[in-house]
Amino acid sequence: MMTALRALAEPRRLEILRLLKKGEMSAGDIAARFRVTRPAISQHLTVLRGAGLIAEKRDGTRRLYRIRPAGLDGLREFLEDFWDRGLSRLKRASETAAPSGRRR
Amino acid sequence: MKKPRPIRREISIAAPPEVVFAFFTDPAKFILWLGRVAELDARPGGVFRVNINGRDVVRGTFLEVVPPRRVVFTWGWEGEESVVPPGSTRVEVTLAPEGAGGTRLRLTHTGLPEPSRGGHDEGWVHYLARLGVAAPGGDPGPDPLGTLETKHGWKSGAS
Repeated sequence: MMTALRALAEPRRLEILRLLKKGEMSAGDIAARFRVTRPAISQHLTVLRGAGLIAEKRDGTRRLYRIRPAGLDGLREFLEDFWDRGLSRLKRASETAAPSGRRR
Repeated sequence: MKKPRPIRREISIAAPPEVVFAFFTDPAKFILWLGRVAELDARPGGVFRVNINGRDVVRGTFLEVVPPRRVVFTWGWEGEESVVPPGSTRVEVTLAPEGAGGTRLRLTHTGLPEPSRGGHDEGWVHYLARLGVAAPGGDPGPDPLGTLETKHGWKSGAS
């Protein structure tokens, strides 16, 4: 999960993920969306790939990238766990507060 | 589509044109400022191929080689069918003597589609600055763009 978080903690990498949500793209097409050098984009793609957030496919000499939804599983579970706990606390709080109607 | 604007960059270098020129034609000198591996056959029609980081490879052809004042080559990314394929753009470099033993370098990169212009412009600013250090005999240090690892120092392998 830390690898995914670190990979996500960069605006351009987040933007690359947003782009790939719409479908597979070549490295060149991704690079053309940023005012950043081609090698810098390759660094970002390497980080995202290392974190398991995207997958790479060779098509001849071209490299194509697509999103890997499973890469976010660990992070999603972590956040959902928070959300569930938050909800149960709210539930408990409202249940104890409602019948008596007392103010604190 | 609107005709894209060329990139134009200039830099003063504290080395004479003869010295700077060799940094565009001699592979051992070329990689001091740009790329890990350079294959340069510096004559019209000769290959221009530079592997920047083990992944991104520039490929083109020398069009003009006029020592020590002018070199022109085509430029594109190997393995790319759209955007900037090999041979699709053109880089023109002129060297003029400046002051006592210096050079004024002018670079013009034409033919880039507008979306790719910004990234290439940023690249030329970065690499010409390195050339400005390397040509007079300085050490520009390792190129932060010459590796696939990020500057944060952690390898991107999955853990």
